[in-house]
This record gives sequence, structure tokens and C-alpha cells, in this order.
Amino acid sequence: MRHVPTLLARELGAFFLGPMAYIVLMAFEVIALLNFWELVDALSQPQREFSSVRDPMTTYVSASPLFWFSILVAVPLLTMRLIAEERRTGTIETLLTMPVSEAEIVLSKWLAGVLMYLALLVPFAVYLPFLYFQARYYFDLGPLLSLGIGLTTMGMMFVAIGLMFSALTRNQIVAAVWTFVVLFLMVVLTLLLYFYGARQQAGWAEAVRFLAVYVQVRAFGQGQLDLRTIALHLSVCVFALYLTVKILETGRRR
Amino acid sequence: MIQVERLTKQYGSVRAIEKISFGVGRGEIVGLLGPNGAGKTTTMRVLTTYLSPTSGRAVLAGHDVLDEPLAVRRKVGYLPENVPLYHEMRVKEYLRYRARLKDVPRSRRRLAISEVVSRCRLSDVEQRLLGHLSRGFRQRVGLAEAMVHDPDILILDEPTAGLDPIQIREVRNLIQELGDRHTILLSTHIMSEVEAVCGRVIIIARGRIAIDEKLERLRLEKAILVEARGPAESIRNVLAGIDGVRGVRITSRDAGISGFELQTHGGDDVREAVCQKLTTNGWILRSLELRRSSLEERFVEAVTGDGVAPSEVEAI
Repeated sequence: MRHVPTLLARELGAFFLGPMAYIVLMAFEVIALLNFWELVDALSQPQREFSSVRDPMTTYVSASPLFWFSILVAVPLLTMRLIAEERRTGTIETLLTMPVSEAEIVLSKWLAGVLMYLALLVPFAVYLPFLYFQARYYFDLGPLLSLGIGLTTMGMMFVAIGLMFSALTRNQIVAAVWTFVVLFLMVVLTLLLYFYGARQQAGWAEAVRFLAVYVQVRAFGQGQLDLRTIALHLSVCVFALYLTVKILETGRRR
Repeated sequence: MIQVERLTKQYGSVRAIEKISFGVGRGEIVGLLGPNGAGKTTTMRVLTTYLSPTSGRAVLAGHDVLDEPLAVRRKVGYLPENVPLYHEMRVKEYLRYRARLKDVPRSRRRLAISEVVSRCRLSDVEQRLLGHLSRGFRQRVGLAEAMVHDPDILILDEPTAGLDPIQIREVRNLIQELGDRHTILLSTHIMSEVEAVCGRVIIIARGRIAIDEKLERLRLEKAILVEARGPAESIRNVLAGIDGVRGVRITSRDAGISGFELQTHGGDDVREAVCQKLTTNGWILRSLELRRSSLEERFVEAVTGDGVAPSEVEAI
């Protein structure tokens, strides 16, 4: 594992030396701005929006459609190039013929993806000190912390899934589309399925609700740090990474 | 240094290479020659552990490619075809990155990099972006990268493809210089390159080894062209029976006059024996010509499948 820092530095270099990182960050900054506007607006009319006063994080991040839309688009964009591009340009050949193991390569690419993902959340954090110190709105720090943890484990899972699809193809678009479809299933379709099941009063509705990422993150935003959810995120993440290593290894046996 | 035994690689139902066996000793420069699609790149990819073989064994510097791939990779420097590079990195930065991944110790890293930079004459472009380099420089960066960890074995896939004549000469000189320290296996489909650089040549055709011979022995080999009047088949059988003749091929056949081409072992001159045999059988000898068989002829012969080299007969 001693090669991981070197590999990681290159991945991050490739990302942050290009224009891509800043374009995506810019888009997130705009989205954060819109959400923050909405939050301040809601907070200045406390009588009308009781619930959001109680959970500002829910209004600001975890229940915002704009936030989810941008995450669903940005994560596939970040992860699609990680391995697919190396396959397309052929640099994978030089990478896999060095005394570096597949696990090291996968781990450092995943770490790079997670760091990029976390960088995307920074614009959302930028506004909060203003709310706290400038506007003297002393919101609870607990939910902020649990939301941070939840979004991180969710991101680790999402990036691992994106990395797996990136390893499967040499076409970045294909990798991005597959990643988007799977993330969309996890976030939106589970939610719709839950509503459908709940209306039928089916027993499985509760199980689907547990799997719905939207519901999970909303709970984090309300300050519920559910360790079962974190365990779920981490085990999906580890499984996807394991599959990615296996995909790279079987690539030799083509 | 390199030991390959009955190596086979299959892509689905296509056999890219089939039961090839050869060995390369320390300090040898061996050229892997063959037409496009003959299996050169596949062979090299198996040797560098990029692909795993379907069957057979390959041992490099004492390590098996399947059992100890990491140990093999540590001993091998590889220049892939078309030299894929990260375009956003700078030359020196890239070499430093590779040296680190290849476990060049920190204390030696700076020295190792400056040595390959000067050997490959890269000092003028040290700070340039890889994506902005010309083909020749990219090739040299690839070479520098392959040898930055001072490997025992260098595997170079078409090191001169796409270069201009001056660059080709430079790269060839470089490879020859490297021959004193490294064992080199290089692939090419340019015959003159093999003659200029290599000590030995392995010709691959349709996934099999057609010829594996020292270049000086190949140069010694002679072909004898015979033209005689008489029954073609019987003449051929008689000629094939002469000591030192490796193979006889009928090259032309019209109106009772036939042409033959004789391949001989290791430079035996059998012209007198040919003349004697023909006259004792009462056939008229019309012409007898000695010709050095050039590498190119041997190559064409091997690839078009007219001749089967003894090494391949053993392999089957």
C-alpha cells in the first residue's frame, strides 16, 4: 500500500490541473447559493415554515431537489474518467505493468474520487458561518455533523459504484450513464417504490424505505446518526471496490 | 533471463500465439520480427504480465509471470506500442512519478532520473508537457521511463515506429548502448532494424515461431538456385537427399525444365554435389547459382509458409 500516496497525488493532480474541477465546483457554488437563498428566505418567515426552522439542514441540503439533481449528475462525471480514460488512452498498460498491485490502484483512484466529491460539498459549507455568526442564527451543530458523516459515507458508496462502472468500459460516456442509472435507482426509484408500497400497505415498503438513500440522508440531516445506514453504505462501498479489483484482474485473462 | 515454454494465448476462439518456446540469455538483444497481427504484441504483453497466458510458462529473471507478477514487473522495463503517456504531466514530473512507483529508493531517485534524462537526451524538454511533445520525444520519454529503475530486462514494442530516419538512428544507437547493461527484447516489422541492432532474431508468423536463429548464422545461410531439364519431382527428391540441404522448393516448371531453390544448413556449399548428382542421373544442368539468403527472404519465406524451420517442427 506504500504506492497509494503517489498514485493519489497524480489522480488529484489530473483532476485539479484541468478545467473540469473548477467548472463543476462553480456549478455547485451556484446551486449552494440558490439553496442558501431559499433557506434564509424560509427562516425570515418563521410562522409559515415551522418545520424548516427546526431542521435548517433539511431545507438547505438533504431535502433540496436541486442538491440531489446535482449530486446525481456530478458523481458520474467525476468517476467516469478514473479508469475508463486510462483504458482509452492505453496508459492502463503502463500502469498495470508496474510493480503496483491492482488493489493499490483501485484504492487510490477511489480515494481520489472521494476527495473530489468532498470538495464538491465545500461550497455548501461556505455559507453556513455567515448564517451562524453574521445573522446570529444559532442552529444546532449536531445535525450538521451527522449530515456531514452521512453524506461522506454516501459519497464513498457512490464513488465506489462509479469506479466499478469506469473499470468495466473504455467509453467514459457509457460509464457515466450506468453510474447515473444506478444512483438514480438508489435515490429516486426506491423512494417512489416506497410510496407505492405504502399506499398498498405492503410489508416490503418498510424495507424499501430503509434502502432509499434520500430517506437515509434526510434522517442524517435531522440529526439521526443511524449506524445501520452507515454500515450499509460502507459494505456496498467495499463490495464495489472488491469487484473493481476483480474486474482489473480478470482483464488480464481476456 | 527470459524462458518461454509452450506459451499459448487465446482471445475467445482466436489463438493469438500458439505454443511458442524460446529463451533469451543475459545481455542478448533479440528482435521479435513478424507481420502485423502475428502475435508480437501479445507475446510481449504476456511477458510483462499485462495479460496472463492461456497455457504454458514464462519465466523472467527467475520469476514466473503467473506466480510472482510483481517480482517480474520489478525486473522488467516495458515500452508499449504507441507509448501511452499522461498528457497533463511534465517530463521530469512523470519520470519522478514513475520512479517512485517503481520503488527506486529516495536516495537514488534524483540520480537515476538525471541519468536516464541524459541517456535519452531529454534535458532540453525536461519541463515540457508530455502532451506537447513530438513523436520522437515521446518515444524517448517512454524509453527513459522503461529503464528508470534499471531493470534487468527491457521489453520494447516497436521502439522506432513513427519516427523519422534521424530519430530512428538515434533510438537504435541508444538501444545498442543499452545492450551492455540490459537484456533486450524488441519487436519490429522492419527487417533492416533487426540487422542493425539485434544479435538474434525470432520470426513469428501466425502465432508460431518460424525462425529463431543468431543473425550471423542467418547471414551465413545460402540458397542455391538450380535449373535442370528432367522430371521435376524426381530431381527434387534427389536434391533433397544431398548432405547439408535443408529444403528444396520447386520455383518454376515448364516444358521439361524446372527451377529449384535449395536451402542449406549453416553455409555448406553443396554446388559440386548438386552437379554430380544431376549428371549421374542423366539430367542436364542448365544453371547453378549461389545466393546469400537475406533476412528479408527468410522472413517472407517464413511468413508465407513455404518453409518450416526445424525449431517449429520440434515445437509441434
